[in-house]
Amino acid sequence: MAFTLNINGTDMEVEAAPETPLLWALRDHLGLTGTKFGCGIAQCGACTVHVDGVAMRSCQFPVEAAVGSQITTVEGLDQDGQHVLQKVWTEMNVPQCGYCQSGMLMAVASLLNDIPEPTDADIDLYVDNICRCGTYPRVRAAIHKAAELMKA
Amino acid sequence: MKRRGRVLGHLLLLALVVAGFAYWYGTRLPSSSFDGKVAGEPKPVEVGEYAARVSDCVACHTTEHGKPFAGGLEMGTPLGSIYATNITPDREHGIGNYSLADFDRAVRRGVAPDGRRLYPAMPYPSYAKLSDEDIAAMYDYFMNHVEPVAEAIPASNIPWPLSARWPIEYWNLLFYREGTYQPDPTKDAKWNRGAYLVQAGGHCGSCHTPRGTAMQELGLDETDPAFLSGALLDGWYAPALRGESGNGIGRWTEDEIVSFLKTGRNKHAVVFGSMMEAFNNSTTFMTDDDLSAMAHYMKSLPRDPEPVWEYDDSTQAIFAGGMSAAEPGAQLYLQKCSHCHGRDGKARGSFVPPLAGSSSLLADTPASVINIIVNGAGRVVANGVPDSYRMPPYRVTLKDQDIADLATFVRKSWGNTGGAVTVEEVRDLRDRTNPFSDRVILLQMR
Repeated sequence: MAFTLNINGTDMEVEAAPETPLLWALRDHLGLTGTKFGCGIAQCGACTVHVDGVAMRSCQFPVEAAVGSQITTVEGLDQDGQHVLQKVWTEMNVPQCGYCQSGMLMAVASLLNDIPEPTDADIDLYVDNICRCGTYPRVRAAIHKAAELMKA
Repeated sequence: MKRRGRVLGHLLLLALVVAGFAYWYGTRLPSSSFDGKVAGEPKPVEVGEYAARVSDCVACHTTEHGKPFAGGLEMGTPLGSIYATNITPDREHGIGNYSLADFDRAVRRGVAPDGRRLYPAMPYPSYAKLSDEDIAAMYDYFMNHVEPVAEAIPASNIPWPLSARWPIEYWNLLFYREGTYQPDPTKDAKWNRGAYLVQAGGHCGSCHTPRGTAMQELGLDETDPAFLSGALLDGWYAPALRGESGNGIGRWTEDEIVSFLKTGRNKHAVVFGSMMEAFNNSTTFMTDDDLSAMAHYMKSLPRDPEPVWEYDDSTQAIFAGGMSAAEPGAQLYLQKCSHCHGRDGKARGSFVPPLAGSSSLLADTPASVINIIVNGAGRVVANGVPDSYRMPPYRVTLKDQDIADLATFVRKSWGNTGGAVTVEEVRDLRDRTNPFSDRVILLQMR
């Protein structure tokens, strides 16, 4: 079946079965490989994208349900990769292997959208993405730093 | 003295005669419309296989990894365990020696060829309504198209004298009604076909109709308001199939009911719990016409007066600003559930079911929501393909208190009206669905 998806502000055509996870539509059909496959059961968060501004796990999101929504992937966070989060992430050397970080960035962007000045407790609740390298302390520090910069 | 002895003697004699009659009555062979008739030439496999699919014989007469129809499935009764029988045409262990009339008596009357009464775990009160044609088709299928399996089933552990079967005939006297389905002339052919499928072979009421103290279904057709009004069985709550907009299918169209029974999902719900077996083995194999007739019949059932469910979007606001102070159930929902079910609790296409307005979250009993959080969903197979989206089990990752908080939250959000869930309810169901527990739920009646 053909589906029209609005991804990063552009309408894109996808020819896929309706149950195809949005993640596969993004990666395999549209070549947007910034979004990663981790666990495939919505537990780890590597595949996090925004659906109408809210972080969702795209591995458990049928493409059928994405029609009519605004999808944002890590490629759409900022056209030039210069989103404040991306800058802080580079500056503070947050990623190690980096595999989970695009999902992490999307989860954090959604958090800061909802709560501009999150507490540590807020961070624990909203950003429960899993990082194999254990970069959690730097992620936390970078979130606070980004919140500060975005406030200014 | 002499006189009193004579009176006693008479009383004893009378008691013996009564007991003798009672025993005779409870073991006699009832008549069958096939008495004296022989089965015809073998029919093509599809004919009887379809009838056996509709009646879902395989669901109980096969164990998970056992050979088809070889029996052995353990079922719990208050007196002990019984086991579904081997219904393959094996002459020693199965039904290979059954005549057509014997088969009929077992299926529609609940009586084995030796006069033993079957336990009503076999849904013969529903099968009683099966047509002669379907009985003959099923007999043909089992005799000519099913592989004989020379395997005995385990013996029941119900002790004598409770193991006597003849008293079941008195249960029958109270609760069993003989007679095939009689079409209602005031209704059209589609309605009557649907009523026949739902009441007879489909035996939907085995799970969806509440049972009385003697485990009898409280209604066997639409004339009874208890019929298909929702029931708790085997740790799952089978929702009402009547017209309620909340815990019923009042918001479902006929096409949506057909889709649910054929593909396992629609925008209101996805098959889970005990329905998975009925779906995987039976409804998904039924023709569109038959499913459509069932849907048509179900939609004709009246609704009881009860509040109409309406979506309430105030829940979403909880998630949009600082959750640290929010109740634990809402916090857990955000972390564990919202990634698939969304903050809005709405369906994701027809693959991830909505929690907003879900029957299980509107029902009084919370069994289904606890059970699915603890144990997750099983494998729903439509058209040979397993489902792509499945609820994972949280038995290991969430504590009783967490699950109680979570279940309480989803049962009161988005306009849902199910009540709060207690830690005790979660602990009990967790234990009773643990295969290593000594009080694990055995299947009861189907």
